[in-house]
Formats: sequence, structure tokens, C-alpha cells
Amino acid sequence: MIRKLAISSLSAALLGSVALVPSILIADNVDGIFEVPNRPSLNFYGASGLIDMPSAEALPDGQVAIGVSNFGSQTRTTLTFQATPRIQASFRYVGIDNPNFSQSFDTYRDRSFDVRFLLNRESQYLPAVTVGLQDFAGTGIYAGEFVAATKTFSGASIPGTVKATVGLGWGRLGSSGGIGAPFGGDRPAFMPGDTGGELSTDQWFRGEAAPFAGVEWNVNGKLGLKAEYSSDAYIAETTRGVFDRKSRFNFGAEYQVTEGIRVGAYYLYGSELGVNVQLQFNPNRPVSQQRIPAPRPYFIRPSRREQPEAYDTAWAASEVEGSVLVRDALVPLLEAEGLTLIEVKTTASTTEVRYSNERYGATAVSVGRVARVLARLLPDSVETFRIVPVVNNLAQSAIVLRRSDLEALEFAPNSSDALLAVAGITSAAPNLAGSARNEDLFPIFNWSVGPYLTQRLFDPDKPVEFNAGLQLNLSYEPIPGWKVAGQLQHRLTSASDSDGSSNTSALEHVRTDAVLYDQGGATSITNLYVNRQWKAAPDVYARVTAGYLERMFGGVSAEVLWKPVGSRLALGVEANYVKQRAFDNALGFQDYGVATGHASAYYEFGNGFTGQLDVGRYLAGDVGGTVTLEREFANGWRVGGFFTLTDVSAEDFGEGSFDKGITVTIPMDWLIGKPDQRKRSTTLRPLTRDGGARLNVPGRLYEQVRSGHREGLVGNWSGVWE
Amino acid sequence: MIKEISRLVCVGLMGLVLVGCSSEQGTGTNTPKLVLDSLSQVIAARRAGPPQKLELTAAQLAEIDQPLLQINPELLGGSSFLGRATTRRDSGLGTVEVWNSTDNARVFLRNGVIIGTRGVGGDMISADANVTIKALSAGADRSGVRTYVVSDGDVTTTEYRFQCKLDVIGQERITIVNQTFNTNYIREDCVGGVRGDAVLRNEYWVQPSTGLVRKSRQWIGPRVGYFEVVLVKN
Repeated sequence: MIRKLAISSLSAALLGSVALVPSILIADNVDGIFEVPNRPSLNFYGASGLIDMPSAEALPDGQVAIGVSNFGSQTRTTLTFQATPRIQASFRYVGIDNPNFSQSFDTYRDRSFDVRFLLNRESQYLPAVTVGLQDFAGTGIYAGEFVAATKTFSGASIPGTVKATVGLGWGRLGSSGGIGAPFGGDRPAFMPGDTGGELSTDQWFRGEAAPFAGVEWNVNGKLGLKAEYSSDAYIAETTRGVFDRKSRFNFGAEYQVTEGIRVGAYYLYGSELGVNVQLQFNPNRPVSQQRIPAPRPYFIRPSRREQPEAYDTAWAASEVEGSVLVRDALVPLLEAEGLTLIEVKTTASTTEVRYSNERYGATAVSVGRVARVLARLLPDSVETFRIVPVVNNLAQSAIVLRRSDLEALEFAPNSSDALLAVAGITSAAPNLAGSARNEDLFPIFNWSVGPYLTQRLFDPDKPVEFNAGLQLNLSYEPIPGWKVAGQLQHRLTSASDSDGSSNTSALEHVRTDAVLYDQGGATSITNLYVNRQWKAAPDVYARVTAGYLERMFGGVSAEVLWKPVGSRLALGVEANYVKQRAFDNALGFQDYGVATGHASAYYEFGNGFTGQLDVGRYLAGDVGGTVTLEREFANGWRVGGFFTLTDVSAEDFGEGSFDKGITVTIPMDWLIGKPDQRKRSTTLRPLTRDGGARLNVPGRLYEQVRSGHREGLVGNWSGVWE
Repeated sequence: MIKEISRLVCVGLMGLVLVGCSSEQGTGTNTPKLVLDSLSQVIAARRAGPPQKLELTAAQLAEIDQPLLQINPELLGGSSFLGRATTRRDSGLGTVEVWNSTDNARVFLRNGVIIGTRGVGGDMISADANVTIKALSAGADRSGVRTYVVSDGDVTTTEYRFQCKLDVIGQERITIVNQTFNTNYIREDCVGGVRGDAVLRNEYWVQPSTGLVRKSRQWIGPRVGYFEVVLVKN
């Protein structure tokens, strides 16, 4: 049972309550003429490879793969991401059903990270060549390095394609059939229970090396056969009696069930039967095609020469009255598009509209919808539209469009690029003086009731533990920029029976007491706070939040962010004073309080790569920095990783040595194919410890601001015409 | 088999999921329910198979007193009937017509050649079809580059570039409901795409007397496939 849970844990954790797997099961490839031929398959480590050995192939750029394999009482669940065309990264969770690995548990569980680099792309005569590090920062059970070369052959006398791989492995991958140590050195044997976590650079490519080889024959689009010569002696496993290794040869057959799913059955090491389930998908290919209701065609004005009277400006003789007239007409028209008018100001030639978007995931779509409404409504003399998306009282930017450009380019061959070339994306003033405001907007009261599902992962006793129940969300905005919000949860599942009192963390228990919170009151106030945020200057945003900020801490938080509309760089400062909340999940506090805060730099590298550096003081009072790197797809998908180094020693930090993890964000509209703004984010940490722990403040500024800035708009610019 | 399993998974999950509610429609609906709804739609559609193409009868045609375009999407199945919403001359070749369907989709035709769709999903955002338009109006062979900017279905686009060759194959009599037309049958064969090896074939049946494209089969994009377009009444 526990193993079954482990199998589903990674994929479930990715989405939490969203059932991604079945939707991918049934997603078809309809664009037959553009499909990727000969997609690399996965090995038992969930990375591109043969059976137990790696190959040199890279997955298609951006590909996400989940592999679940089992043989000889070992289950490996792996999440692999082809981060760039050449770099592949994997995170793995392994369970070995054997009591000899550790004294306290029947099943030994461990996490590991891999990374690979494609040195040479396959060409007509040269093979693909990849160098890889396996389990380079864990406790090292799978630690090994390799260089592999793979060449594809097709045509000739056999059907389908044949991929041949040869390689040289070190560490675990050099433990059987060794040919000596080309780079010298020796490596220590694997020790269960070691702290691990630190890069084992002194061991890489050291010690005995051994060759491995294999072939994969894709007989047709569906059936694949594999055979390999393994260089892995499985010393740690065989000496502890996990399984009996009788041969170096492995054989298997795989079947491509759907475009995304491949299953395989294998005979390994002369003694064991194995299975491997491989799931692959690409964030660039949505599960459901988003169908946005078609917009009305642009209303075209008569030419000024033919009807000069249409361009009369008398209607705007009084700008105040003109703005009020436009406001009253705009409110229902924008509402029909799922948009809310906040304020509008017009002169005879220029109209500025500030609105909020509750419907479209891509801001560009809402900009296009506003422009169409304006072209339909406004007198012909208005030539310039200034369209300002506003998120929670923060005017993101002013997108300046000329009406005649919109009229001329609607059916032009390259309408998106042509419009972007003549559009202005500039900063918006904090306030719009002299505007006609939508008086009916405030106060805004929102509520929702629904189920929730949360998971706690990688507990040695229970690899995944779910909590489910009902939650109530409330928010009240009396005037622009002010918000009172809270979330109440009532747990319906039984409380965790893990023993929370055995926490031996050497630091303040700022994160490691999660079990005690889980075991606290069934009804919990997840958060309850007052938030005020505003724009202090055209490029400066500010926020103050006070209350129960997150499940474990409450207090006050203040943040200032500098982010010019066209800048790839943003800088921010955040300062907080928080106290630890009581375990009963109600309103009480414990004694521990801390001043914590960070200076942050955010940078958009282009092509979707973003980086963030935070330097400051963390919840346990430790001082250091966090580095985050993410790849963001234009449709909102994000996959990234982070690590935090602080002045806490590896011994005090405990297992893992320092805080690190991966983040995955999946946009709802990618799954359901309808305009939707919600996203599901999951952070997976191999271990949650107290060092390098950052406060979770609701409503940090950077993400609120970015979607309406230049980099956030151009990736979806075609949406202006959708 | 897998379809069966996924259906079971869905049914099982639906049992677990409670229906959420909120002050605002749409924004508060809970995530699992939305995903499951969209899944069950996909499954229902699979089970039903693609909808059938519709054929108008002569009696139905006689009752129609305004322009009517019939579109039969090959991959999606079924038929859509569209009315002409607006006609526009811009700086490009010929005339642009915008046709509306009853289910919130639109098709843009430039002299009968599709240069855009909206509300279909995986839409053609824009296209450069000048070579095609010239060949059709001249009724003569032409060749040149054709580009399509097509939505990937997630508010991002891919540009597909093709090298196309148009050939006038000959005269054909076509029948639309009970009307017969003498047409020139013109075929457009294209090679290109992202990797340069994709092959397309668009077909047009053009009335030589009026230059009207009476019937055609045109590629929209990799996810939508081909549309059969019939000008039932102009």
C-alpha cells in the first residue's frame, strides 16, 4: 500500500488536487503532420536512456517526464525536465523495501538530483554525446557519472529505427567490469544516514570506470525492444540482500500506449522482472486547446476627408462631462468581456482606461478586448487609446495604441508583430487625476466555499500524507488598495498519527513542527490579514500587510518594489516582524518572534528564463541568500529550482545540509481550454528543515506587477487580436 | 483499455469532489471540478465520435435569403453555417469578408482564401496568402511563399512558412445542394513547416465568370486541420 502511494506521490504532488494524469492519458496528438518522431524513451531512473543505463539523447526542449519504475523491491519515481535543449535535470524519490538499509524503517527512502549536459547534437555522421551526473547532491546511493554516445540508424533492411549507445561510467555506473581509474582517486562507499546534500565535487569521475552499452530498436511507432550491458554492480543492494544479481545483461519490451504514455516490461540482471511506466508531455502543448469566444471585428471610422463632421470635437468640450459619458457607456461593455472598469479619462483625442481583468490568463487578450470596445464606442476624434491594466490597485503599465493602426492591421499578414512595432508599452502614473471613476465598484466583497486538498511529502513513515476538508475564503475591499482577507479551513480527514515530539532540530523549530500544526485543531485559520498596497511612483510599488500571514507565523510585513515597465531588472526590499503561531491553528501565538527580511533582485534573462536573488535574514534568525532559477513558458507554465545558503552549519541544518527544492506552476487554462487566470503552484523540497526558511507573505508585489509589463505582454501579444 | 481506466479514474474522482460555490461565478468554482468537467466533455465527445457533417436540402436552401457559408471541419467533424458580418477593403489584396457562426466563431476570407479564424481553438491568427489570391483571380499557375501565424492553443503562436505551388488542373462541374456551377479546379501544394518537411494541399473550385471561390478545402493549422468551405449562397 505504501509503495502504491509512493508511486503516485510525485505526480499528485505536482498538481495537488488537480487530476493531471488522467487528462494526459486521454490527450491525443491531432497534429499528425508535425509530430516529433523517435522521441527518446526513459530508463529506470526516469531520464532518457536504455533500461538501467543512460543514453546520450536529450528530450525535446521543455519536455516534462515522469517515470515510475520497479524491480527487485526498488521503486523509483522521477520527475525530469529538459530545461534547455542541452540541459536535462531530474529529481527522484526512491523506496527500497528492505530493513537492512536503516535501523528504524522497513523501507529505505531517499531523494536524489541528476543533471546532464548534451555536448554534441547528433548529426549525420557523429553521435549525440552527453555527460551526466547522477545523484550529485544527495546521500549518494545512486551517485555516479557517465559519458555516453548515442547514434540513430534507420532505413537499410530492418524496419523502424535502431539507437545504439555506448558509454563509460564512474561511481555506481563504474562498479562492474571496471577498466581502471582514468582520473585516479578513490571514492568512499555509500553510507545510509549520512547528512548528504552537499555537492560531492571531489568524487566526480574518480575511482574505477566501466563501459556500458545497449541498443533500442523501435520496430514501429508503438513497439520498442531494448537490450543492454550494465556496468552497475548494485553493491549496496546485493550486500544487503535486496536482490540477487546474476548477470550484466538486461532485456525489455516497451509499448507506446498514447502519445504521452509508454509502458515497459523487463528482465533485469538475470534474476528480476521489472516494469517502467513513462509519462511525457510538453508545457508548450496544452492539454485542451483554449477556445476564446471570437471578438467582434473592429469598427472602422469613415475617412476624415469624406466625413469631416464625424471628427468634430465638440462632444469633449468639457472633459469632465465627456469622461462621465464614456464611463457610463463603458461599464456594461467591458463587463460583457469579463473586465471591470475602474476609471476613465478622455479628451477629444486621447482616452485612458483603467480596468481590472478577472477572466483572461494572458493580459494581452484583455488589452485587445478593451481596444475593440473603445473603437466601437468612442467618437471618431479619439485617435489614441491608453489602456492600463490594474491589479489590486497597482496600475501595471499603459499600453498606448493608435486607433488607425488597429483599423489598418486587423487582417494584415503579420498582424501581431506589426501592431507590436507601433504599440507603446510605458509606465502608468500612480493615479489618474480628473478621471471619472466607477462609483459602484467599492466596497468589494468576495467569498468562496470549496474543498481543499493538501499533502505532506517525503515523511520516512508515510511518503505522502493527504489532508482534505472544506475551506472558506473571504475578502473585503472597502476602498481601492485596502483589503481584509482570510481563509478558514476545516479538516475532514483524520489528524496525522506521526510522532511530532521527536523533533531534534538544532535550530528554532520554524518549519519542522508541521506535524504539530497538522495535529492541532481541526478548524484552522490559515490566514487573516489586512493589506494595503499602492503605487508610490510610476515605477515604484509598495505594500504593508499585518495579521496572521501564514499558517505558522503572524505579524507585520512591509515591501517596496522598483520595476520599470520595460526593464528586465527589478529590485525589492521586504522587512517583517513575526511571531510563531500556536499549534491550535487559532489566534494564539508562541514566544518565538523574529525580525526577518530580504533585499531581492529579479532578472528576466529572455527566452523565458528568470532569476531571483534574495539576501537577508531567515525565520530561524540565520543570515544568507537564496538563488532561484526558473523557466517560464509564455502560457504560464513554470519549472524551476532554488537553493538557500545561510550561516547555519550543515550539522546544525541536519539531513540535506542546506535548503533546496523545485517549483512547478501549471496554469488552469492549459488544462481546461477556457480563459482562466488561476494557476497551481507546488514547491517540492526533498527535506523541510529550519535553516533558510522564508516567511510566506500573501500578495508579494513582483508577481502581481509583472504580467502587465513588457516581458509579460509580448509573449502573448497575439492575444491582442484574439 | 487506457480510455476505460481514465474514465474510471474520472468517475472515482468525481465522487470525491464536492461542488464549490462562491460570490462570483467563474472565479470561485473549484479547480478539480473544472478540470473534471472539461475531462468529461472530452470523454463524452470521444465516446460519441466526431459529429456528422450536415447536408442542406433544396427546400432549406430556398428559404435562405442571405449569404450563407458552410464550413465542415474535417478533424473536429460536424458542420457550421456562417452569415456574412462585414466586408472590408484594406491595404491588402482584394476584399476581406468576416463570417460569423452561431457559436461565437469567426472566419476571415480574403477573396475566398482563409486568412484568419477566431473562436475555434488553435486559431489561425493571420496569414499571408497573396500568391494564392493572385493565382485564383488570374486563374493561372503561380508559386511562392505562404505564411501562417497559428495559435498553439495557449495564447502563444507559431509561424509556419511554406513554399507553395498552385496549378490549374482543369474545369469541373460542382453541385452545391441543387445548384450546379462550372468551376476551375485549382490545387495548391505546399512544403514547409517548422522542420521543413510538412506537406499541405489546399484545393479551390473557382467560378471563372465571377471569380468567386465556390468551394474549397483549406488548411487552418496543425491542431484544427482542414476546413471544407462551401459558399452556399452569396
